[in-house]
Amino acid sequence: MRVLAVQQYFGLAGKAIRFIVARPFYRGDVVQQMDAIGVQSLGIVLLTGFFTGMVLALQTSVQMAQFGATMYIGRLVTASMIRELGPVLAAILVAGRVGSGIAAQIGSMRVTEQIDALNTLGVDPIKKLVTPRLIAALVMMPVLTILSDTVGIAGGNVIASVYVGIPTTLYWRTVWEQIASGGFVLNYIPTDFVQGLIKPFVFGGIIAITGCFFGINTKGGTEGVGHATTRTVVVASVLILVVDYFLTQVLLFLFG
Amino acid sequence: MSDAPDDAKGAHAPPESPEERRRDADDGPRLRRAEDELRARFGEELREGEEAQERVGASREAIVELQHVSLAFDRPILENISLVARRGETVVIAGESGTGKSTILKLILRLLQPDSGRVLVDGEVINDVTYEEALVIRQKMGMVFQGAALFDSMSVFENVAFPLREHTLLSDEEIESRVREKLEFVDLEPDRVMDQLPAQLSGGMKKRVGIARGMAANPAIMLYDEPTSGLDPLTTGTITRLIIKLQRELKVTSVVVTHDIRSAFRMATRIALISERKIVFSGSPEEMTASQDRYVQDFLGGV
Repeated sequence: MRVLAVQQYFGLAGKAIRFIVARPFYRGDVVQQMDAIGVQSLGIVLLTGFFTGMVLALQTSVQMAQFGATMYIGRLVTASMIRELGPVLAAILVAGRVGSGIAAQIGSMRVTEQIDALNTLGVDPIKKLVTPRLIAALVMMPVLTILSDTVGIAGGNVIASVYVGIPTTLYWRTVWEQIASGGFVLNYIPTDFVQGLIKPFVFGGIIAITGCFFGINTKGGTEGVGHATTRTVVVASVLILVVDYFLTQVLLFLFG
Repeated sequence: MSDAPDDAKGAHAPPESPEERRRDADDGPRLRRAEDELRARFGEELREGEEAQERVGASREAIVELQHVSLAFDRPILENISLVARRGETVVIAGESGTGKSTILKLILRLLQPDSGRVLVDGEVINDVTYEEALVIRQKMGMVFQGAALFDSMSVFENVAFPLREHTLLSDEEIESRVREKLEFVDLEPDRVMDQLPAQLSGGMKKRVGIARGMAANPAIMLYDEPTSGLDPLTTGTITRLIIKLQRELKVTSVVVTHDIRSAFRMATRIALISERKIVFSGSPEEMTASQDRYVQDFLGGV
């Protein structure tokens, strides 16, 4: 059964990806989902990003003070935010907020026979429901992550200048040093950015497909919808953390 | 994946055992009395049904056909089901809850595939068509779901317009006039309901919008899953009249799954009674009331 489920999961993902380039395009649905996934998640992602940046600065300042290296707070905050915490935290928040919503919505469409209705009206539910959510998540997750990274680094700036007394100009110079230190892809794009943007792109896909998968396979009425949402959040979060590890290994291998 | 066999409307209600059914058999006179009684009770409905049969006539081509269809998931659901609906006919599939009646509709729509036997729609065997081909074949059919299954994120207008937007190249004005026409057909005031969301509608109105959506693309076949269940008697009458109106004015072929024998008698040209996975009776409503079969009598008597 488990093996079958994994197969179905990838089957769903494959079909949803193929439909991205197949007519008809449901532009209205994509825009609506971008709003639901991206715009409406903005507040929570920014808030947590800001606090994460602050706590990073706070923790590193204590550690760095032992070596008299507090001026490098900016570098550490930046590296952590862009490479790891920005993408992973934003993704986990979105998995909880959006993934569960996708599962609940599609799950209740399943139990009220709306999925069957789509089928009987000659429309592939994957194309109509899954692909727009996938596109929206693939586009919006990197955007959310960039914003989260930015406010996180800004949060670090607040702590660095207020608690540690590092001038803002110095802080931002160390931020830039960190970004430039990894080198550039195609001469212009810092490798840290590449790493930091591939991750949310992949995580966005995981969130959308996981939510849709459990939603479509909902069984057993409203109780089933509850199960579907819970499973989505658990599975998507675990997948994000596990995939993050392997993705990091690959990216470090590629970009160092 | 969406046609995974996960929704064979649970056949878990244990059917009455044959012993119980035979318990007080061999009473011919009692049955004849029962027949008269049924005639008295359903006289009017039967007359309506007869009219329907006259309109259809006999020798028309089969448009929906099941040939010796069997289906099992964990347990057998249907065994050796054969059923024909000719053009313009209204075939009612009746039976106790949980006997796989709705599964037959899913087979016709090819949401499910039979384990053995053949399903034909409009002369075409649909057993082995691909998922994409099935999507096209389904456009010949309009399905009305038990719970209406309206898309709850869309307005009534968008719901009815959905099949038109998907499968036709009609302009926005043409779509709007078609939606209005269909809503009027089901006795709804377009201007009043068009912008409402399904959640704002009553059960009977939802059903009617469901019928309007099902017939929006003018399909040749209409399928109804328990069209009158969960409705009050008045609304039940309205919906039944609507189905009759559809068959009368638009000459569509209908397959109706119901356990409401009263409305079945009113609209059916033929009734197939299902019990324990098999068709135990098939014939006109007239023949049904005249049937000496113990189970048929019990089923009608239990109404």
